[in-house]
Amino acid sequence: MKSWDIFCQVIDNFGDIGVTWRLARQITTELHQPVRLFVDDLHTFHHICPQIDPLQDCQRLLGVDIVHWRPDSIVDPSDIVIEAFGCNLSESIISSMLARAQPPIWINLEYLSAEPWIEECHLLPSPQCHGPAKYFFFPGFTARTGGLLRERDLLAERDRFIIEEKAEFLTNLGVEPAPGSSLISLFTYENPQISSWLDTLVAGEASIQLLVPPGRIQADIEHWLGEDKLVLGACYSRGSVVIHPIPFLSQRDYDRLLWSCDLNFVRGEDSFVRAQWAGKPFLWHIYAQDDEAHLQKLSAFLQLYRQQLDAPSAKAMTQFWIDWNRRQDLSEGWTLFTRQRDSLESHAHVWCSKLSMQKSLVESLAEFIQN
Amino acid sequence: MKTAQDIKVNNVILIDGAPWIVQRAEYTKSGRNSAIMKMKLKNLLSGSTSETVYKFDDKMEQVILDQIDVTYSYKADDMYVFVDEEYNQYELSAEDIESVMPYIVDGMTDVCSAVFFEGKVISVDLPTTIVRQIDYTEASARGDTSGKVMKPARLANGTNVKVADFCEIGDWIEIDTRTGDYKSRAKAPA
Repeated sequence: MKSWDIFCQVIDNFGDIGVTWRLARQITTELHQPVRLFVDDLHTFHHICPQIDPLQDCQRLLGVDIVHWRPDSIVDPSDIVIEAFGCNLSESIISSMLARAQPPIWINLEYLSAEPWIEECHLLPSPQCHGPAKYFFFPGFTARTGGLLRERDLLAERDRFIIEEKAEFLTNLGVEPAPGSSLISLFTYENPQISSWLDTLVAGEASIQLLVPPGRIQADIEHWLGEDKLVLGACYSRGSVVIHPIPFLSQRDYDRLLWSCDLNFVRGEDSFVRAQWAGKPFLWHIYAQDDEAHLQKLSAFLQLYRQQLDAPSAKAMTQFWIDWNRRQDLSEGWTLFTRQRDSLESHAHVWCSKLSMQKSLVESLAEFIQN
Repeated sequence: MKTAQDIKVNNVILIDGAPWIVQRAEYTKSGRNSAIMKMKLKNLLSGSTSETVYKFDDKMEQVILDQIDVTYSYKADDMYVFVDEEYNQYELSAEDIESVMPYIVDGMTDVCSAVFFEGKVISVDLPTTIVRQIDYTEASARGDTSGKVMKPARLANGTNVKVADFCEIGDWIEIDTRTGDYKSRAKAPA
């Protein structure tokens, strides 16, 4: 039996800890191997997992040992060390790795990308001048990458939930779906152009219910509504649009939100992947870089995703995604996008099924370690 | 110590005490991913090659290897003997000089560079451009004089290269030793 250490430095938001927490849980529950998750920011962790006590240096939750990682932490490394998203391990940890009779397998887990070069770099060694063997592991969407995080029973659980628990879940959130209404979840970064989208929604005839957890888009919505602060549990109606502020959700409940909605607006990496497992149309608000390197990454995903999508749907999806990410007027893009909703919905389902045929990230990791 | 982003092609780095020459280095950056350097490395002791990847700020130990000018002298048993200006002899196996083997011919006068690591010669580099004679090639089929149409040719030691269609048996040609590509027709060495 191998033991694992996962190191996570929270840069900002919830993506880094979101991914590593899922990874830790999956290794524990699916590989039945002990995992320690070292996190430098337990307060952010507490947001997505309220059971975490930010004041505890060591705690155990769902079989995972969680350790507050400080710059001077002394660590006796496990058999496998995962350095998530290029967080740099201290010299002392690297020395401890070298001091082991059998140095650990050291893996640099990278951010997710659909760019073709990922396949060429996945699992390549990174021999250090003074350190144990290290390897780059790239999550991705093709068989030549490390795959995506996916719990073994995720899709079955999703299908069961939709039949048995969806209505109750929405009621508990304070949302009663109106007949014929579309439910849209909205969890993105800031975008002042959201006003052009909301104006278009209000001008349209379709009944829309927007479910908005606390997040960085909230201020733009408040500005559009002319409200000082969105009040949890309140409903804000404008024409055929109703905005429901909902609470910040745990990872499990956020999945359920995505499964309950007809369209999901997601951001970063973790919610981006989870939206794909929902099998519903979605919009990805990618994490922006100063040099606009993110647009290349966005295009690479679009290119892959729309390969088997009919031309009008591919065009509509591309325009709406690009307009959103470039913070351009959204009215035309949304009109085109909604015209292709049926096609986009069936494609989202096919895409999800196709991805689920590939090895999950944990299966890929386990295979690599074994070999 | 340097970082991976400072390392260039033909630099030599130390990994676990062994010298590795960088044969290719490509920088990649996208989105939130770390900027990375993808490198092809060759172990100067074993001759093995490896595709590798580094974070751009990974620390690397660069070494400057001693080099002296030598010329090829003769082959004895399985060893290739090079001599320097003071007639010191350096023996290398075919494996040590794998990359230059296709261009080793008796009587060659190229000034080569013998590379030393910890006092021992480990390899020999040829000049970037060398001149060799075509031993055999088919006659020009199309009468092309532009140099864009290529055809196979064989050097005296059996090495095959693609040459311009207008080249003939007995012609001397320039070859880029980094790529093995034909560069142009040349004058016979003095």
